[in-house]
Order: sequence, then structure tokens, then C-alpha cells
Amino acid sequence: MYQKIALAIAFSPRMEALIAETKKLVDIFQSELILIHVGEKSAALEEKLSNILNERGLNLNRTKVLWKEGKPAKSILKTCEEENVDLLVMGALKKEGFLTYYIGSVARKVIRKANCSVLTLIDPKLDTTNFSKIVINGTQLDETPFVIQKGLEFGHAHEADVVHILNEIKLYGLQMATAGEGSEEDISLTRRKLVQDEIQYVQDILNKMDQKGLKINIKVTAGKWAVELSKFAQSIDADLLIMGDRRVHTFLDRLFPHDLEEILMELPCNLLIVK
Amino acid sequence: MEKLSHGEVINLLLQLATMLVMARVFAEIAQKFRQPAVVGELLAGIILGPTILGTFSPELFDYLFQSNASANLALDGIVQIAVILLLFIAGLEVELHLVYSQGKSAISISLLGLIVPFVLGFIFPYLFPSFFGFAEGERLLFSLFMGTAMSITALPVVVRILMDMNLFKTKMGMVIVASAMVNDIIGWLIFSVILSFMGKSGSLSLMSTIGITLLFTIFMLTIGKGLINKVLPWVNKKLAWPGGLLSLSMALCFLAAAFTEWLGIHAIFGAFLLGVAMGDSDHMSERAKEIIHQFINNIFAPLFFVSIGLKVNFFTNFSPLLVLVVLVISFAGKIVGSGFGALRSGYPVKEALAVGFGMNARGAMEIILGLIALEVGLVDEKLFVALVVMAIVTSMTSGPLMRWALKIKSLPRPNTRWK
Repeated sequence: MYQKIALAIAFSPRMEALIAETKKLVDIFQSELILIHVGEKSAALEEKLSNILNERGLNLNRTKVLWKEGKPAKSILKTCEEENVDLLVMGALKKEGFLTYYIGSVARKVIRKANCSVLTLIDPKLDTTNFSKIVINGTQLDETPFVIQKGLEFGHAHEADVVHILNEIKLYGLQMATAGEGSEEDISLTRRKLVQDEIQYVQDILNKMDQKGLKINIKVTAGKWAVELSKFAQSIDADLLIMGDRRVHTFLDRLFPHDLEEILMELPCNLLIVK
Repeated sequence: MEKLSHGEVINLLLQLATMLVMARVFAEIAQKFRQPAVVGELLAGIILGPTILGTFSPELFDYLFQSNASANLALDGIVQIAVILLLFIAGLEVELHLVYSQGKSAISISLLGLIVPFVLGFIFPYLFPSFFGFAEGERLLFSLFMGTAMSITALPVVVRILMDMNLFKTKMGMVIVASAMVNDIIGWLIFSVILSFMGKSGSLSLMSTIGITLLFTIFMLTIGKGLINKVLPWVNKKLAWPGGLLSLSMALCFLAAAFTEWLGIHAIFGAFLLGVAMGDSDHMSERAKEIIHQFINNIFAPLFFVSIGLKVNFFTNFSPLLVLVVLVISFAGKIVGSGFGALRSGYPVKEALAVGFGMNARGAMEIILGLIALEVGLVDEKLFVALVVMAIVTSMTSGPLMRWALKIKSLPRPNTRWK
């Protein structure tokens, strides 16, 4: 699924845990690993990194360390493109400070602009995370069939216990209000139809795919999909949220957050953006 | 505090009961003939008002609607509240996140769908004011109002048509809905600026009125929305549901309306913007929106639509030529403007035409706009009647024309609630 995985490292206290998490991915997908550090190269740092890589038992023949200079987000993005990276792994804070959010942290800048898939881990662990409860965004968007397919592949590779696919009824309140002309029976029929239509949308996509024996739960919500996705992921204490993103994000999107930005304001759990 | 006398209370209650019963009866009849409920409600008003009851049974009409000044004043207060609440739900329907996600095509369709009818609606009344019934006052304001009246789109009509045609969730459906939302915001913004000049002989300059209106809009969509986002989770969690939410949202709506009225912008604008801010909040559940909609749509809306017929004689004020001209301008402006916007956004000709037809529905918003203009003396009764007829015709033809453009066969139950 991912032939080249990159990890952005910053020599923070969480670096070792991030390397451990990435190693697990590299082992699962049999991928090459590229470690990207933006900052000055020094003998001490090199030694520190090499010790961790050895300790964690990484295959050094398939691991490349790149030391880059310049602005962190830009350099990481550029390196990913040059190296044809399929998946970039990063650590990120669950919630940025007010100002950092608007100015943009490195992690969020990369998420917004990356051309490859990005896995953002908010709580990387030395003994690695089990992605057992996965939530996939199933709202009606152009990229949704692709997102569901990638989500199922990821879930299967990680032997997930359950995969929830969330789809939402758009403008439910308004639809029900404008439909409110018929008898009680008509109204409940409309209500059922609205829910059924959304389930069917996901089911039709699933029918065309190999579900790989995964336990799949389709859930229908009403309201803004990004908010509902975030709420649901938090309520079931999900390990991973998978969604797509095909938009170019501008500052205006941050000022009036919607869709992906709504999730980035406060990450409900680890986040995988598939592209 | 002055109180209504025993007789006045009875009179007021009889007025309300008659209006609600007649509205329901005629709404049901209208639906039987596959017409929208509001046609029935307007018809009920025309029957109860000076047009029919006042002509054929003036004693009964006088007894019900003319005999008690205090009861009429109380009824007028209720109708005023109805208008404010209708604007509140119009705001609640606007979902800004949908507008952002639709991006450029929504902006292009709505702006062109606003500018072209606005220009047409402005030019003709400006050049031929007497034909449109303009007598005295500011010709510029009158023409600006006509421009705005031509450029408004009724979101719920559009939503219902799209639902009936199974187009609601398609790319085209979403872009039409988002465009109608942008249209609503800009339309009401312009109308509020125009209204703030009426009857106050310019206590505020044009620039400061526009400035205050824009400032209030930005405030409501940023800080106001932020505050609502903070308060709503508490309301949902700690207070009775939906009771707490219902009463507090109504209270907030009235507060915002009072505030804009105090600022010198019309009360409806505060209610509308509060609706937008509240509807866009992450914590305003769709179920709560539905309850608010049903409550207002079925109690206050019929009272408002019946009251239209009580105010104006639709027979003596019906001017066929004026109606025809208003219809031609409204159709041409909206279909060309929105259609061209869709064409520019890459839609094929047929779909672009369908977008134009969809955006052409004016619905209840046009009637509210017209009534306020009538009350402040901006338009006369003949033009008001023409605007009401235009609202009805555009809303009734929108669905069939869209079907024709997209070659979709008629569906069994194309009912439309025009709010």
C-alpha cells in the first residue's frame, strides 16, 4: 500500500516513540523509510539518531536519513515530492494554541499542503498504537470511494477490530422542515428515506470492494460532517480517523473553519489523510 | 399598563382563530390541487380581507378586523413577531460551511444571479418611476429596493424542488443551495441599508450605515458565532431539551432584532443574522432546527401570509401590465444572471439553464421584503400586489422549468412549502 514512508523528526522527546510507530508501519507495508530532519546536522544528533535506529531494530539498508535546511514545513513537503513519498508520518499536538493555529504550526501546514498521504499521531507510543477502532469519513464527496477503499486496506493491514464509516444527511433540519407538508406517515417515511439513502450510498461503495472480513459499521449523522466525525471519533475513543482532502486551503479557511479545518482545530484522535 | 378589554380579547382571539383555521383549510385544499400551502394561505387572507369579505360582507369584515383598534394593534404586534421569526429561520437555513465548501462556483452563480437582476430591477424603475407607482421621496432608494426585490432567492423553495427531483445531493443541487444562501445574505444586507434610510431623513450617512451594517454582520459571524458556540453546549447539557434551546434562541433572536432596530437598521436584519450565526454553530443540532422550523412555519407563518390579504385589496390593486413587466424583469434577470454564472463555472448549457430556473424562485422572502417596503411607504399597493404575484409565479414555475431543462419527468408529489 505504501512503498515509501517518510517520518519528519525534530529531536523532540516524542521522537523515539514516533520512530517506533513508523517502524511498525514500515514492517507491515514492507516499505522503505526516509527520515527527514530540517535543521543543522551535527555529530551529536547523528549519533543520537543512529542509536535510536539501532535500538529499535530498523533495517538500515532500507532507511535513509535526509538532513535539510530551510523552513521546516516547506522543506518537508519538497523532500516528500522529490523522494516520491507515499505516506508521511508526523507527530502533532492535539490542539494548537490560539495564535499558533492561525499562524499555522509545522504539522498543520504540512497536512494542508501535502500531496501524499499524511498520518498524524497525537500520542505516539514506544510500544506502538493499536489501530483497532477506525473511523472513516463516508460523507458524499468526490473522493469518498477512494477514501473508503484506502481506509479498508489500512484497517485490514492493522487487523482493526471495527471500522466505522460515517455519512451525514445534509441539511437534515431544513429538508425535514420543507418536507413537512404530508401526514404523520408521510413524514416518518421521508425521515426513514433520508437515513436509508445515506446508508445505501456507503453500502453501494462497499459492495464494489473487498471488505476483507472486516467488521464494518455504517453510521448516519446529521449536521456538519467534520464536526460530527470529530464528535463520533471522540465518543468511541477511536484510534484513528481516516479522511481525504482534495482542496487547497487558504487563510480564509482557517478564519472560518470548515471541513478539514474543523478537524485540525482540535484533533479528535490520530488522523490519516489519504491522497 | 394598558390592558385589552374583555371584548377586545375576544375579538383578538377570534381574529387569530379565523386566520389559522382558514389558513389550514385553504393550505390543505391547495395541496390537494398539488399547489404549495402558501398559495392557500395567501388565498385565505384574500378571502378574509377587503378583497372578498370586505366587499361582499362588509359588516362581518368590520366586526372581525376593523371594529377594535386595540385588538388590531395587538394582532399587528403578533404579525411583526411572525416576520422577525420568519427571518430568523431564513437565517438558520443558511449554512456557511456549505457555502465555503462549494467555493468559487457558488460565489460566481450567486453574485451574477444577484448583480444582473439587481441592475435590471434598478434601471427600469429608475428610468420609468411613475410606471412603477413611484410618487414622492427618493427615486434612488426606490430603484435600489426594486433591484434588491428582483435579486432575492427563496432557499426553502429551492431545497424542496431539488429534493423532489432527487437533485438535492448532487453537485448541481449543492451549488444551487449554497448560491441561494449567499444571495440571501447579500440581499438582506442591501435591503437593511435601504431600510435604514427610510423614515429617518438620513440621520446616518450612507457610508456610516453601510459601515455599521457590515460591522454588525462581521461581528455576528465571528465573535457572535463564537459566543453562541460557547453557550450552546451548556444550554444543551444543563437545561431542558428542547425547551431551553427554544426559549433562549427566541430570546436571543428578539434581542438581536431589538439591537439592530436600535442601531437604525431594521429589526429583521438582527433576527436574520442571529439565525445565520446560530445555524452555523457546531452545537445547534439538526433536530433542534427542525423543531424551530415546524413551530414557526405552522403557527407564525400562516398568520403572516393571511395578514397580507387583510392589508391589501388584491382586486382593485391588480394592474396586469405592471405585473407582466415585473414578471419579465424578474425572470430575465435571474435566469440570465444565475445561468451565466453557472455557465462560467463550467456547467453545460442545459444544467446552467436549470440552475437559473432554480434560483428564480422568490417565495416568501419576496413577500416579506415587499410588505416591509409597503409599510415604510417605499412602494404602493399596486406594486406590492405585483411583487406578491411575481413571488407566487416564480416559485410555482421554478420546479417545472427545471424539469423541462433537465428533461426530467414530472414527479407524483411536487409540493413546495414556500418559506
